[in-house]
Amino acid sequence: MIDELGWVSGALALLSLLLVCTLAGRRVTLARAERRRLGAEERLRPLALALVDGGSVPLPPLTAHDSRALAVVLARYARQVNGAALAYIGDFFEGHGHVARELSRLEDRRAWRRASAAHALGGMASERAIPVLLKALADPDRDVAAAAARSLGRLRALEAVEPLVYALVDGRLPRAVSAQGLLSIGPEAVPRLRDLLAEAPAQVAAFAVDLIGLLGDATNAPELTVLLRDTSAEVRAHAARALGRLGAEEAADELRRALDDRIPFVRVNAAHALGAIGDVSAAPALARQARMDGFDPAEAAARALVRVSPQVLEAVAAEPGNWPHLDQAVDLARIQA
Amino acid sequence: MSVLEHALVVFSLISFGYFVLLNAVYLVFTGIAWRRVTYYRRARQFSGADEAFASPLTPPVSILLPAFNEEAGIVESVRSLLALRFPELEVIVINDGSTDGTLRRLADGFDLAPIRKATRTTLPTAPIRGSYASRKHRELWVIDKENGGKADALNAGVNAARYPYFCAVDADAILEPDALLHVAKPILDDPDVVVATGGIVRIANGCRIEHGQVVDVALPRSRLATLQVVEYLRAFLVGRMGWSRLGCLLIISGAFGVFQRSLVAVAGGYSTTTVGEDVELVVRLHRYLRERGEAYRIQFVPDPVAWTEVPEDLGSLARQRRRWQRGLAEALWRHKVVTLNPRYGVFGLFAVPSFFLIELVGPVIELIGYPSVIAGAALGYLSLTFLVAFSVVAILVGAVLSVAALALEEFNFRRYKRGREAARLVAMSLVENLGYRQLATLWRVLALVDVARRRGGWGEVRRRGLGYAPARGASRGR
Repeated sequence: MIDELGWVSGALALLSLLLVCTLAGRRVTLARAERRRLGAEERLRPLALALVDGGSVPLPPLTAHDSRALAVVLARYARQVNGAALAYIGDFFEGHGHVARELSRLEDRRAWRRASAAHALGGMASERAIPVLLKALADPDRDVAAAAARSLGRLRALEAVEPLVYALVDGRLPRAVSAQGLLSIGPEAVPRLRDLLAEAPAQVAAFAVDLIGLLGDATNAPELTVLLRDTSAEVRAHAARALGRLGAEEAADELRRALDDRIPFVRVNAAHALGAIGDVSAAPALARQARMDGFDPAEAAARALVRVSPQVLEAVAAEPGNWPHLDQAVDLARIQA
Repeated sequence: MSVLEHALVVFSLISFGYFVLLNAVYLVFTGIAWRRVTYYRRARQFSGADEAFASPLTPPVSILLPAFNEEAGIVESVRSLLALRFPELEVIVINDGSTDGTLRRLADGFDLAPIRKATRTTLPTAPIRGSYASRKHRELWVIDKENGGKADALNAGVNAARYPYFCAVDADAILEPDALLHVAKPILDDPDVVVATGGIVRIANGCRIEHGQVVDVALPRSRLATLQVVEYLRAFLVGRMGWSRLGCLLIISGAFGVFQRSLVAVAGGYSTTTVGEDVELVVRLHRYLRERGEAYRIQFVPDPVAWTEVPEDLGSLARQRRRWQRGLAEALWRHKVVTLNPRYGVFGLFAVPSFFLIELVGPVIELIGYPSVIAGAALGYLSLTFLVAFSVVAILVGAVLSVAALALEEFNFRRYKRGREAARLVAMSLVENLGYRQLATLWRVLALVDVARRRGGWGEVRRRGLGYAPARGASRGR
């Protein structure tokens, strides 16, 4: 037994030593690699800028390391430029085999490699990557799907609108990522989002409404106003919020009606929207909600009243009774004036 | 053999069995943690924290900062919270009947004005004396209430919070600018499933702090504090990561955790009758959600950092550790119905019994084990050579586990940039088992005595404030 313990001790001591040596070795290697990477990026930045500016810059022969470093710099620029500059970047990635390489890595057995490839393709401005990334949205690994969603947003792939909204609702993708992917596509996504309003399940329609509120404009207000009478409370609430974001004054009547909705969070959103629109005629209804409703709708109504009519707010808060939300709103308006 | 001799032999065997079991669990957890943290590091580049920051769809968060006699560092702490990167947040400081100048410092630092704040009355609390809003920062509120303890202050914060999620932060903690974004990320990604998340707490002693931010990470000069750095890394990166992976995270540090407000309110808020209100709340949430058969996740995230001071003297450290152990014991005892109860799944069948065995019974076995094994060897029932060889193995196993935790940190986060600091951490992890571990075990056993004798209280907390560097004093972080 003692002999065995001796062996175990020896093995443990060796393991400790090995771990310590690995730590020290890795520290040195990483520091060297970092210095090399920074040096290469610094050296290649003028070349990258020339490529973005003119496109047809003759490239000097690059080592594999330098080619990767240049790709990193260009992928960074790809997120900030549009039009011809983006096309030049796309040509570089396509012409130097980066797109082909990442597409093949998207078939890798290891999930993190697939995710890394899906992520990289988003910065390569390549239309060719879109169908493959759409397929990757269904990858069993969530990170791969998330990276694909982000890249589809960066590539402004309109075909991705519907799958991204569905993935956002059914939880297959991280919500923040899929939502931002959709927002990155921009206002061009609005017609496809409108298509989802009619026939999609309520949750999908609710998110489509939310996104229209963020990406759309005043022309979308009429169809959103109709949705304030939808059978789904979620759709009604999101429609109210979207109308507030769009500043849709023509929806004021319907929003005032929504203050009487039986669902509290619809009333909360309707109050916020009326505050955002600045609908003075809503002041009495908001004052009533701030006095009589539950905590959240009352708070929302009092805050809206500050924006809609500070005079009405002062007057109703001064009436006899205990109106905590109105009192708070009055005090806030006073100190923030 | 006499009864005493039999008892010695039996207890020695129990001690050895416990040693093997404990280290087997730690080894398995180290393996799980390696896998998870490595995966997390790789996935971080695809995690989309920047998207969440930019997204108008990210839900807002209320930050709750309970403060009792925190005049030394309260302004710095609030400044660090106001500087957090998050699309929409409010900071609610709850002055829990401080007898020093906490409220005055806040009023001077942030130009406070009295306000009649509307708050819910869902959770009962000590009376509210007044509320204040800042003229400089629209998102800052101060609730001034009569003293009722940290849990009571947090409950007042939950009542006052406006947003659907709240983040509880200790007054002596400094959050990194991205910390809230990262710790809330699992909730933002899966709001229907993730109900609470906790981040890692790291040690601020020795770090350079300017304007409420850690600007240079360094090890403390004090050996005692450096030993705690190793201990924290092991506890968070290995322990919490492992439990989180199993879906049984029992502890979200009181210094830094995000919760769904409506769930905490409906579950009864923080308990005011325990010193371990953070553990108790998490155990209660597990119990509440499992009893209702709801799908949920309580998750640990390894890189959003809250920096906190740790004690640099043995007296303060002993008081802190005894308080933590008392809190854990009270929480486990209060929810003992969960133990070995199949209704609670892996949480009841494995996690809670493991905590009972490893955290409560374990220290007692360990503490009695040392003298009984030595007595057994002295009386000739155990071979002295065997005892020495076993002790060497025990120390080396501890060292390997600690060095593995350091390696996890070094491979994935590499916060300590200077080579000599990494070397110092390795040295500390090698000597940690020679004295420090035994002392910590003694404090934990004494805490159980406190529980049995119903002795409570938070103990004295001394503080210089995080505006000073290197900082000294005691911490409430766990």
